[in-house]
Amino acid sequence: MHQIRNFCIIAHIDHGKSTLADRLIQRCGGVADRDFRDQILDSMELERERGITIKSNSVTLDYQAQDGKTYQLNLIDTPGHVDFSHEVRRSLMSCEGALLLVDASQGVEAQTVANLYLALEYDLEVVPVINKIDLPAADIERAREEISEDLGLDPYEAVLASAKLGQGIDEILEAIVQRLPAPEGDPEAPLQALIFDAQYDSYRGVVLLCRVRQGALRAGQTVRLMHTGKEYDVEEVGLLRLKKDKRNELAAGAVGYAIAGIKTVRDIAIGDTVTDASQPVDTPLPGYKEAKPVVFSSIYPVSTEEYEDLGKALDKLALNDAALTYDKDSSSALGFGYRCGFLGLLHLDVVQERLRREYDLSLILSAPSVRYRVRLSSGEELKVDNPSLFPDPSEVESATEPYIKASVMMPERYIGVVMELCRERRGLNTTFHYLAQGRVELTSEMPLAEVLFDFYDRLKSVTQGYGSFDYEVLDYRPTELVKVDILVNGDPVDALAQLVHRDKARQRALHYCERLAETIPKQQFKIAVQGAIGGTIIARTTINPFRKDVTARCYGGDITRKRKLLEKQREGKKRMKRVGSIEIPQSAFVAVLKTDVD
Amino acid sequence: MHLPGRSALGVDGTGIYVHVPFCSKICPYCDFAVTTPGGGRRRSYLPAILGEIGLVCRDAWRGAPPPAPADTIYFGGGTPSLLEPDELEEILGALARRLDLVAEPWLGLEANPEDVTPRRLAGWRRLGVRFLSLGVQSFDEDGLAFLGRRHTAAEARNAVAVALAAGIETVSVDLICALPGQSPASWRRELEIATSLAPQHLSCYQLTVEPGTPFAVMRRRGRLRELPEPAQGELVLLTHTWLAERGYQPYEVCSFAVAPEHRSRHNPKYWRHAPYLGLGPSAHSFDGQRRWWNLRQLGPWAEAVARGRRPVEDEELLTPMQLALEELMLGLRTVEGIELDGYRRRHGVDLVAANRATCAALGRDGLLTDDGGRLRPTTAGLAVADAMARSLDLEADGAVESAEAGSSGPRA
Repeated sequence: MHQIRNFCIIAHIDHGKSTLADRLIQRCGGVADRDFRDQILDSMELERERGITIKSNSVTLDYQAQDGKTYQLNLIDTPGHVDFSHEVRRSLMSCEGALLLVDASQGVEAQTVANLYLALEYDLEVVPVINKIDLPAADIERAREEISEDLGLDPYEAVLASAKLGQGIDEILEAIVQRLPAPEGDPEAPLQALIFDAQYDSYRGVVLLCRVRQGALRAGQTVRLMHTGKEYDVEEVGLLRLKKDKRNELAAGAVGYAIAGIKTVRDIAIGDTVTDASQPVDTPLPGYKEAKPVVFSSIYPVSTEEYEDLGKALDKLALNDAALTYDKDSSSALGFGYRCGFLGLLHLDVVQERLRREYDLSLILSAPSVRYRVRLSSGEELKVDNPSLFPDPSEVESATEPYIKASVMMPERYIGVVMELCRERRGLNTTFHYLAQGRVELTSEMPLAEVLFDFYDRLKSVTQGYGSFDYEVLDYRPTELVKVDILVNGDPVDALAQLVHRDKARQRALHYCERLAETIPKQQFKIAVQGAIGGTIIARTTINPFRKDVTARCYGGDITRKRKLLEKQREGKKRMKRVGSIEIPQSAFVAVLKTDVD
Repeated sequence: MHLPGRSALGVDGTGIYVHVPFCSKICPYCDFAVTTPGGGRRRSYLPAILGEIGLVCRDAWRGAPPPAPADTIYFGGGTPSLLEPDELEEILGALARRLDLVAEPWLGLEANPEDVTPRRLAGWRRLGVRFLSLGVQSFDEDGLAFLGRRHTAAEARNAVAVALAAGIETVSVDLICALPGQSPASWRRELEIATSLAPQHLSCYQLTVEPGTPFAVMRRRGRLRELPEPAQGELVLLTHTWLAERGYQPYEVCSFAVAPEHRSRHNPKYWRHAPYLGLGPSAHSFDGQRRWWNLRQLGPWAEAVARGRRPVEDEELLTPMQLALEELMLGLRTVEGIELDGYRRRHGVDLVAANRATCAALGRDGLLTDDGGRLRPTTAGLAVADAMARSLDLEADGAVESAEAGSSGPRA
């Protein structure tokens, strides 16, 4: 056991985590050079493209250290985005140490800090690594200073590296062996193992990724998952090398996989504790937290015929994504679809991208919403995330909405604009403190709903790309909630209705009216696009008529040809969404509802 | 027997159309069934068309009960003026002998300006031609060259004057607008020349680049750029306002006459779903519910006739929905618009009720009027009639289908 090291790499997006992981794998001979594919851990195409890791992968490496011994290094991957913080937590819980990666040219960012706090929360030993030292813009001294001042770590313990060029890799491996503690745990005690991740394999079912805390996990053993209470017979256990490396058992301290005839990831809970059914431990390991969706959106297929395909695709995605929720939904403007719940905007974006790419679906997504709690005069409390289910305002007594603690790190000169942005977004208790020279961390309690609408873009824009953002969900607080309808020539477009704070209603309505006015094709008559709360119009734009579509000639008795053309055009019209007298093309919904994630 | 309510449309009689498929030169915009007269083709036409009349007369309506006698005959093309008056006379004689005609049917003929001679004019008058449609297309030399016409502007002007002088009841001038790069000013000059010649009728079409024409090839190769639609729309409106000021009243989006008696009596049959019988290559026929059309090419058409077979290429039986749609589409092209009671009787569709919001919006924007009895396009509405036909619904609730069940139509 003392030759095992369980560690993860924590970093801000794009600071080089995956490249470093690749180098470590390569250096330890985890993969033959000819098989080497860049950034093995980020195996999903989408993840590679976006430079982020969504589903974590893990790998076991054999490293022959300078002391002559061979160590088993378990690199436990962590997702690199705030939406997946619960996944990050579970990964951290499986480790004794972490490499904290800082980009020499970017310095410490909001996520780096957030991740460090998490690591410290789980009592991990942290080795700072200053990466990308080869870049012309690298400023090693500044990075050291930030590591010291922002993170409170010893800057002279930082290893200098360029994962890209393979520099500093041996030093990092030695630091892992020498500075990170070996796992502890009684191999003779009853089994206690943490499920930190699970993957779905279409042949084998669910593959559990586990960290064994004490006892041993063996093939043939009957185990119980403590939170779900379900029992399974373990079919196979092994190490997570690049291919599954089958073993007889995973002993205390080990990280590996277990296959136990589990059908879908919905049958298990990530963070659950595995114990021996015949000799169970009394208490599960801490850290189990249900992954609750906080962002909701309805997904509709552009073509109604794809509704079934969409359902099947969601079923398949959900096999490997326990956090994704979905239920049937319908809109008079967009037809049948699914109301889906996500961990955050990035999760939403990842799901919709996968539906588009892997399942070749064309989709329209309604504006993302948080889940409000609405108290009725009758005393009943409703949870509402779908504007179409918002009760009659006269019955609403009060409402609350989720707040987050937003944290923004930026160079000092942007404090003013970022504070203004937070104020715009109903931020409360905004505070900031100075970090290393010239850098500030600002925290603000703000409604999650405010982040869903165009926040990332605005932050990037006001800080000229220098601001980084992280958040955690706090609690529910009172809000003045109204439902804003968007009307086209007086008829409401249900797919565009939204729940917003009263103070934001006009601005939001105008934004939607304007975007819709830009994308609805001009028609032969004037079109009014309005935003309304109940019967009160709060925003308005007009689409002026367009005199085109000149009547074509009609010569002689060949009316058939002309009629066929008209039939074809009317057929095309059927694919448009009709609202009153106006046909709204799908593209208008796509444009208006385009999320602001990327 | 024909569809109920036909008399309400004011087009009682049947129309006869005779297609003369020859042109001495094929214009690059034309996608009609045309050919050059060489290679014996010209010679083969007369016996074939007479042969078709002989075949058709045995059962003109192909099993359907014959509608009212024909009261209009129209020679179109192609270039009917390539036929000599005595050839036309032979065809007319055959029609009168073999088919059910009224005593003095209204007779229309298309002619190219270069064919208009005093001798022919005298012949046409003698035959009873009351409507002479001159394929002028442009009074501008560049325009004529672009359109591939054989006549000059002077010849065109002369042809109009000579035709009027010869005492043809209605002389009509065909013009094409929206040529590439055409400005409102240059189109107005064309209209000025046309009206200064004082024909009783004008037909003004926008240039349409049809697939399979030399213009379509030019467009694909970037050598022809159509006038943008908004500019086309402007020219259409200009045509209407400018002509109205000079006494030419539109009765259809492309058709203008100085008085109702100078309107074409044949073309409205197409727009009003009156029955018509088409003869010659590619000609279409309609009996109120069924439409059929002849073989398009002269050769196969003539060969079928020679073998004693009717040269019909194909036919379609219009569904109630298609009939309703056509009447909507065609009605919106006409100044008279759609008579709502008749429409509801024929198709079981209350157009206004099915399109309240759309009608209100179109009315508010000055495109459509609804005086209770008729849905009429305004001048601006005529210019976008096709678009209006797209936006009006025929009620998706099966109203048209149920009308079919209750109909006493000829083939129900």
